[in-house]
Amino acid sequence: MTSIGTGYDLSNSIFSPDGRNFQVEYASKAVENAGTSLGIRTKDGIVLATEKIITSKLLVPNKNKRIQTIDRHVGVVYSGLIPDGRHFVNRGRDEAESFRSLYKEPIGIPGLLDRLGYYVQAYTCYNSVRPFGINAIVGGIDDDGPHLYMVEPSGVYWGYYAAAAGKGRQTAKAELEKLDLTTISTRDAVKEAARIIYLAHEDNKDKEFELELTWISKEETNGLHKFVPKDLLEEAIKYAEEEGDDDGSSDSSSDEEMDD
Amino acid sequence: MVCFNRVITFRNNYDNDATTFSPTGRIFQVEYAAEATKQGSAAVGLVSKTHVVLVALKRNAEELGSYQKKVIMIDDHLGVALAGLAPDARVLSNYLRQQAMSSKMVFNRPLSVSRAVYSIADKAQENTQSAGGRPYGVGLLVAGVDVTGPHLYEFQPSGSVLEYVGAAIGARSQASRTFLERKFEDFPNATREQLIEYGLIALRDTLAQDKELNSKNTTVAVVSKNEKFTIYDDENVQQWLDKLDSLANSRSRGRQDDDDDDDEDDDDDEAAAEQAETTATATSGDAPTTTQDRAPDAMDLEE
Amino acid sequence: MNHNPFHWGRPSDSTYGPYNQQIAHASNVNPMARQQQQSDFPTMHTQRPMMTGTSVLAIKYQDGIVIAADNMGSYGSLMKLDNVERLLKVGQDTIVGISGDLSDLQAIQRILNDLEIDESYDAGDDEDALAAGLKANHVHEYLTRIMYNRRSKMDPLWNACIVAGFDDEGKSFLKYVDLLGVAFASPTLATGFGAHLAIPLLRQRVDSEADVKKLTKADAIQLIKDCMKVLFYRDARSLDKYSMAVLSESDQKVEFHKDVKVEDMKWAFAKGIKGYGMPQL
Repeated sequence: MTSIGTGYDLSNSIFSPDGRNFQVEYASKAVENAGTSLGIRTKDGIVLATEKIITSKLLVPNKNKRIQTIDRHVGVVYSGLIPDGRHFVNRGRDEAESFRSLYKEPIGIPGLLDRLGYYVQAYTCYNSVRPFGINAIVGGIDDDGPHLYMVEPSGVYWGYYAAAAGKGRQTAKAELEKLDLTTISTRDAVKEAARIIYLAHEDNKDKEFELELTWISKEETNGLHKFVPKDLLEEAIKYAEEEGDDDGSSDSSSDEEMDD
Repeated sequence: MVCFNRVITFRNNYDNDATTFSPTGRIFQVEYAAEATKQGSAAVGLVSKTHVVLVALKRNAEELGSYQKKVIMIDDHLGVALAGLAPDARVLSNYLRQQAMSSKMVFNRPLSVSRAVYSIADKAQENTQSAGGRPYGVGLLVAGVDVTGPHLYEFQPSGSVLEYVGAAIGARSQASRTFLERKFEDFPNATREQLIEYGLIALRDTLAQDKELNSKNTTVAVVSKNEKFTIYDDENVQQWLDKLDSLANSRSRGRQDDDDDDDEDDDDDEAAAEQAETTATATSGDAPTTTQDRAPDAMDLEE
Repeated sequence: MNHNPFHWGRPSDSTYGPYNQQIAHASNVNPMARQQQQSDFPTMHTQRPMMTGTSVLAIKYQDGIVIAADNMGSYGSLMKLDNVERLLKVGQDTIVGISGDLSDLQAIQRILNDLEIDESYDAGDDEDALAAGLKANHVHEYLTRIMYNRRSKMDPLWNACIVAGFDDEGKSFLKYVDLLGVAFASPTLATGFGAHLAIPLLRQRVDSEADVKKLTKADAIQLIKDCMKVLFYRDARSLDKYSMAVLSESDQKVEFHKDVKVEDMKWAFAKGIKGYGMPQL
């Protein structure tokens, strides 16, 4: 942390002598320890998943949804500061609505990301604001098919076959790279997303979590962003737990020994 | 303040405004605002399948002063309990009232509880991301009933909002949470009366040993599908205190949780003194229930 | 007395200052253009509808509502389009039937679409919450606010709408709202020409809420079909192809029938009609 004590990291929009914007880097730190989120782009759709850390058993189960809808055909999942994520989503909704009111058709995904990237970038430019403390994974289907993007606190966004953010992102990325993302069906991708979130949770084992899963697919959801139906969610969780047991049987047993 | 201890090295650097991230990605001004909610007296909320109950402890600044209002009605189906800066709560509840009126005007329907609470959450978030203001210094428990049933939400200055079956905010609220965590499985099927009793017991757990709930310092509020948001204060609240007394005359605490100290307002002399007192009597066990689990840390809830 | 107002005089310039000529020369041309050319007219909004749709009919029966509107889009007396859908579905179980200006119908359609999207944000994955959130009475109230607001800006959406659906308690809901923001409920409703031609026929069967209980679903459908036929006979801006929605309270469902045709017509009498249009050869 060469940044500390230099004074160049105390305000947003300040460059350090070697050309870095430390406040943006610190914003990324808010993401790095948050619950893992991921998105997968399949042949005909998108799957979004997140590991929702349960901080109290008094929380109402299966409420407090984390994955949100920007427009009928666009979903978002984010890791980091949750209120910042809501701010980001609200902006996305405004952009989608303003596009529709002007052009009378749903916004295209690259166009939406263009606008959102622009907005997030603006929060790195002024000392009167701070950057967004989130990595947002945005997926949707438009006339050109499915698109998946990830927006970072700097305002940069890239298109992905699959993206992951949050604490377990390294594990998740390694697993996502093993998938054949050019042929996988959206239904299978849902199960893989569940498995990978369960696996990534190993990095955060001391905390309980809830899995949240949404999908968009021409075939399965008529191009609309929906939470996966209960039966498929249960199937995916079962698959995730079974795969977890198979994969890490040696790991988990050694864990138990250590615990004892 | 407690937070200073954690980050003593960076003190006065990263905590001057809400638009600066610390090197670890924290926003201290927001965390300090959350501290302000812990300075306020406690408020507790619980939900059953039919009812939502809020109970709160009112403080008076001086012997001859009036007691600070803790529960604010928003609409017939909606109300909030506050802990922290009361003026901030008035601003937020005023905004909520406008939202509720607008919903009636535009749609002829009561404002849904989730929409209500997210409207102030999004408003609060703005104050954590731009200069020229400060984060709100108040926590709210938002209780209401809508077409999807009864709901209880906890609102924090960060703009974070979560739905709970039981929640407690304010000074020494960890003691309440400990109770709620032990009993919450009974809440869904509890009657209106039982739910209020649970609430009062939880609230009583936040008291210092020499304090007790009375009709002056206790507020109870209830709402359900068939019952408008009703606040019981002063002589009206006595009926509920009587119920509590008949249930168990003496306090249910034989211990004092020392796990909750990072929630506690250590710099509040009174509270610190209270805690010292209660810790001292922890072994004497004057309450009927003697062996109880220590309070788990709220963030660490392994079964 | 001299009754010509121009001879009554006006407040003296010395007391009130000179008359502001801009008041008389208010323009409907935008300010930039106005610098070059002044208009003789004050700002004008819609003065009359252009492309129009004709009547919407609706009636309550013992277990719900039947609502219908034909598929014609008229440009004056020209039958320009025969595929206009004027029954809009909003949310899970609300039908809004719209007559009047078709571009304003599309504006309303977009407003209601935005409302639907906005509504879905809150519900998350809870389909029940979504269904419970936006009921016909809410849609109607919202539409009333929009229509009244626009008319108060002297720029109305030139429509008459009938909202059919279920309210919070699941009871049948049928209410009207028009370009003036006027709203009312009745067990039989019709807009446009239908208000003259169909309402008397509908009221023969259902004159008050009490009569609703006596009308069966089949009879209600037949009644609406008969009225659509009368309208096609008598209303020159109507079409023999229409959409009909049947709502049932008991299962809270909406059946949507498209491309319903007017049946069993007898046009033999038409030969005898003289004096209109081109001479018959």
